[in-house]
Amino acid sequence: MPDASHVGRVYRAPGMVIEAERARAFAGAIAGADPVVEPDAVPPTFAAVYCLFPTLGRLFGDREVGIDLAGLIHGEQQFSFHEPVRPGDVVDSQARIASVQERRGMTFVEIDLEATRDDRPVCSGRALLVVRASGSR
Amino acid sequence: MSAVGTVRAGDVMTPLSRLVTQAQIDAYADASGDHNPIHVDEEFARSVGLPGTIAHGLLELGILTDAVARWAGGSDRVASIGCRFSKPLLAGDTITCTGTVVEVDEERGVAALSLEAVSDRGDRVLTHGRAEIRLDRSRS
Repeated sequence: MPDASHVGRVYRAPGMVIEAERARAFAGAIAGADPVVEPDAVPPTFAAVYCLFPTLGRLFGDREVGIDLAGLIHGEQQFSFHEPVRPGDVVDSQARIASVQERRGMTFVEIDLEATRDDRPVCSGRALLVVRASGSR
Repeated sequence: MSAVGTVRAGDVMTPLSRLVTQAQIDAYADASGDHNPIHVDEEFARSVGLPGTIAHGLLELGILTDAVARWAGGSDRVASIGCRFSKPLLAGDTITCTGTVVEVDEERGVAALSLEAVSDRGDRVLTHGRAEIRLDRSRS
């Protein structure tokens, strides 16, 4: 289980390429039956694909932290968009464990996110993960 | 499309309602790479105590962001957005996103919105929603 000793650990996902086709499919999935208003734009929350998931994947692979995926809930998510991201862009993403707190038998892990393009920030954010001990459902 | 230039505290965002089908959740799973079975495998979802498959929280946040972007006149106007994933949105539910301008900061050129989303079964699926929109397209 994550604990306060893990605060400050950083997980990097460098060289994430923004793929036009995937961004289009992502926009279409959000729109559902509605038309996509900006077919050429990368949806803001595509940050999930180029920043959140690849860095969290590395966090989940950190056996010393040992997050139990079976008891994991994505509690909150926030993104700030500093510069638009376009298809073909290459961004470097990272996640940092900002805090770990135990409350009501659950562990709350705050993750700071940052994605840069040519060392300039394009997106930052914060994820709150809630981890319940397995079998406590 | 919207009067972002004259936005004032108390203004109400044009609400957005959207039916979220299993096909849409499957498409989001493929596009995002998140194939957690609680989203795509009904039998599994029931085995962990859910009434059925549920939408990805980030799909709901994507729809909320779409609502803000449409009202504000473009996704590049969305400076920040976030929310709490309070209750699951089940496949086949309709989500309705609403928002109100709570503050206009002329100096920073942004307006802050308070946001939330409910399902057609009455669950407040997204709470503590907050976004900032850029009032001017030119950015420093």
